Amino acid sequence: MADYLDAFGLVFQGYVLLAIAGGTLLGLIMGALPGLTAAMAIALLLPLTFGMPPVMGIGMLLGTLCGAIAGGSVSATLLNIPGTPSSVATTLDAFPMARKGQAGRALGIAIVASFLGGIFSAVVLCVLAPPIAEFALRFGAPEYFALSIFGLVIIASVAKSLIKGLVAGLIGLLLATVGTDPIAGVTRFTYGNYSLLTGINLLPALIGLFAVSQVLADVVDYFKTEKADTSKTKLDKAAPRWLEVIRSWKVLFSSSVIGTIVGAIPGAGGSIASFLSYDQAKKMSKTPEKFGTGHPEGIVASESSNNSLVGGSLIPMLTLGVPGEAATAVLMGGLMIQGIRPGPMLFAEQGAIIYGIFIAFFVANIFMLMFQWFGIRLFVKVLQIPRKLLMAMILVFCVIGVYAVDSDIFNVYLMLGFGVLGYFLNKYGFGTAPVILGLILGPIAESNLRRALLQSGGDWSVFVMRPISLTFLAVALIFLVFTYWQNTRHKTLLT
Amino acid sequence: MKKTMIALSLAVGAAGFTLQSLADSNYPERNIEFIVPWNAGGGADNVVRALQNPVEEVLGTNIVVRNLSGGGGAVGFSRALSAKPDGYVVTIPTNATFTLEGLGNVDFTYTDFEYIARVLVEPYVLAVNSGKGWETLEDLVDHLQENDARLMVGASGVGSSTHVMAVALAEELGVEFDVVPYDSGANAVTAAMGGHIDAVVLNPSEVVSGIESGRLTALVTTGDERSGAISQAPTMLEEGYDFSVSQWRGVAAPKGISQEVEDRWVEAIQSAVESPEFQRAAEMMGSDIMPLYGDELDEFVERTARLMIDEAAKLRQ
Repeated sequence: MADYLDAFGLVFQGYVLLAIAGGTLLGLIMGALPGLTAAMAIALLLPLTFGMPPVMGIGMLLGTLCGAIAGGSVSATLLNIPGTPSSVATTLDAFPMARKGQAGRALGIAIVASFLGGIFSAVVLCVLAPPIAEFALRFGAPEYFALSIFGLVIIASVAKSLIKGLVAGLIGLLLATVGTDPIAGVTRFTYGNYSLLTGINLLPALIGLFAVSQVLADVVDYFKTEKADTSKTKLDKAAPRWLEVIRSWKVLFSSSVIGTIVGAIPGAGGSIASFLSYDQAKKMSKTPEKFGTGHPEGIVASESSNNSLVGGSLIPMLTLGVPGEAATAVLMGGLMIQGIRPGPMLFAEQGAIIYGIFIAFFVANIFMLMFQWFGIRLFVKVLQIPRKLLMAMILVFCVIGVYAVDSDIFNVYLMLGFGVLGYFLNKYGFGTAPVILGLILGPIAESNLRRALLQSGGDWSVFVMRPISLTFLAVALIFLVFTYWQNTRHKTLLT
Repeated sequence: MKKTMIALSLAVGAAGFTLQSLADSNYPERNIEFIVPWNAGGGADNVVRALQNPVEEVLGTNIVVRNLSGGGGAVGFSRALSAKPDGYVVTIPTNATFTLEGLGNVDFTYTDFEYIARVLVEPYVLAVNSGKGWETLEDLVDHLQENDARLMVGASGVGSSTHVMAVALAEELGVEFDVVPYDSGANAVTAAMGGHIDAVVLNPSEVVSGIESGRLTALVTTGDERSGAISQAPTMLEEGYDFSVSQWRGVAAPKGISQEVEDRWVEAIQSAVESPEFQRAAEMMGSDIMPLYGDELDEFVERTARLMIDEAAKLRQ
């Protein structure tokens, strides 16, 4: 208890609060710009924190992380461009809703869901961090493989057509084989290009498939129809929608749980959490056909889970000293430079600091809500910018953002190539989300399949003899059958 | 006519030469680009950013850190090598510089670099899951040899220097390892803590929290001296093996920089490693400050490079 009181003292100081607020604001802006990820935002601010006291520096970085994830939903909603990989699932319903002239409502729902998801994970972090970390340790290669198969099954549910969705997912899986083989070290499809040695970089693929393809589609549309003046686009009231989110409390709760747990499993490919949540929300829904058309529950599922992911990803970092993904890896670098070595000893030795970090995380979520509350009216005005200007600006941001990933011009070419691919995939109804899922999950599935077999001496029964792995595989199978049944039933109802 | 041409070109050449040496004695006159071939926030990046301030103070110019993280270091190193050898582009050599070459994925060699300094050293550490009950290296080796058993050992990344080192360690100890490459050191540590694999070969900073928590036991390190971060674990030398290899981080430039430029850098690094700011950062990163320059450095590079390249080459089937 004394630790908690000390921790309050560490956080509630003018400069510390200011640093958290500044970090959150910068995170929001960078998250909203396509191409700038949470990890990059943190890396950029990292040198600034060197001279700060630990809680202040980490608070600022945590604010940046929360802000960046939440900011990603703004461009996802308004422009169909996910700012970060975590907000891909948000585009599925938020963008259709915004298209219907309800951009303010879509953002209002996203903001509240993000905030509540973030707070949920913060509570879990304070109360349940050690047992969850213990659970995460039970994940070996077979479990990761089963989890990624479970994730791949979602392709069937996010795509409009089962076959076309699977085709797009397989394109993603195929592209995921480019690069150095994760176990044997043989290079595959790199054609002597150093930039491809570590595989296709996710970010250029993401920005190409979503942003550039959207720009291309809009350019084509522009010449066909939309020469109309956008400056008079009617905007609905832009404000947080508390009631609407709380009404779907079941989705909110289960998505936050999924986000926190997936976040807590190191290397599970965090961005699949929002897809998992979206998928289960759809499965549990009485009206699954509404998903993908601008359904509020879809936004709640994706946004609450991608923000609870943040709290979840802090669990293995703080309790085991193992960062879960890229953004927390940078954050952990920051902690170590501050003289804090994350791990189990931290709770015993520097209780005040660790509780300070917890409190700073709460505060960052509150700042995130406040900034978005005020900002939302400004955000929607983006839709009144003349389209031809907006499209040009987006393309500029995309190029800058993608170049900034590795300062490698090859990534820009890659992005443009994926843009053309994405345009045609969308045009012919394949969708781009399955490609991204394939790209994210392919390497996880492949490397863990091979690690599991390496460890079992080639015995395939490891996947069904271990309870967690068996559960995932069984549920994946049930989901697949269920989706098929849901689709056919829907068709018979229509005819 | 011909003679005037020759005289003229000689004069121009001489002028150019004096201009160049003049430029070198005034070095640095503009910003210096420090290429980090890995992501911001990674181990190498932290070292460069910790060096940045103290080095800037001595050189009196700005160091611009650029992260060029493609291809596991290949992109950044080859970009650094394509720069003019005038000291305005430098990079951070590590054992990865050698393993990339050994794996045959790049077309540069370690001799294309002019090594200016070694700054930090981190040994490799063999740490086992504590639940297995091996307290010392002897326990482990005896167990493996008596039962003709194989040890499941995790490393960070296929072809990484930890992977190479795990293979080399097994050879040296006369036992059999099944090396499982993970995507990162963190993932390998998690697997070892969870008991999914028996052991890891990694650098101290990656395993130290696992050891402090009691889930992992460090059996041996590979440095010349014990590691500051895991001082309880003996070295291979202490255990009676003639084996000493360490991960290291330093400063290198494309071959062909002038002696003046090299001297300025050595001076800057010598002063930087004395700064309390840098010493604190190094301690936090679990690295030991062991600077090396000139001939001693070249000898160290030669010895380490040969071992790393040969062992990495064995991984290519």
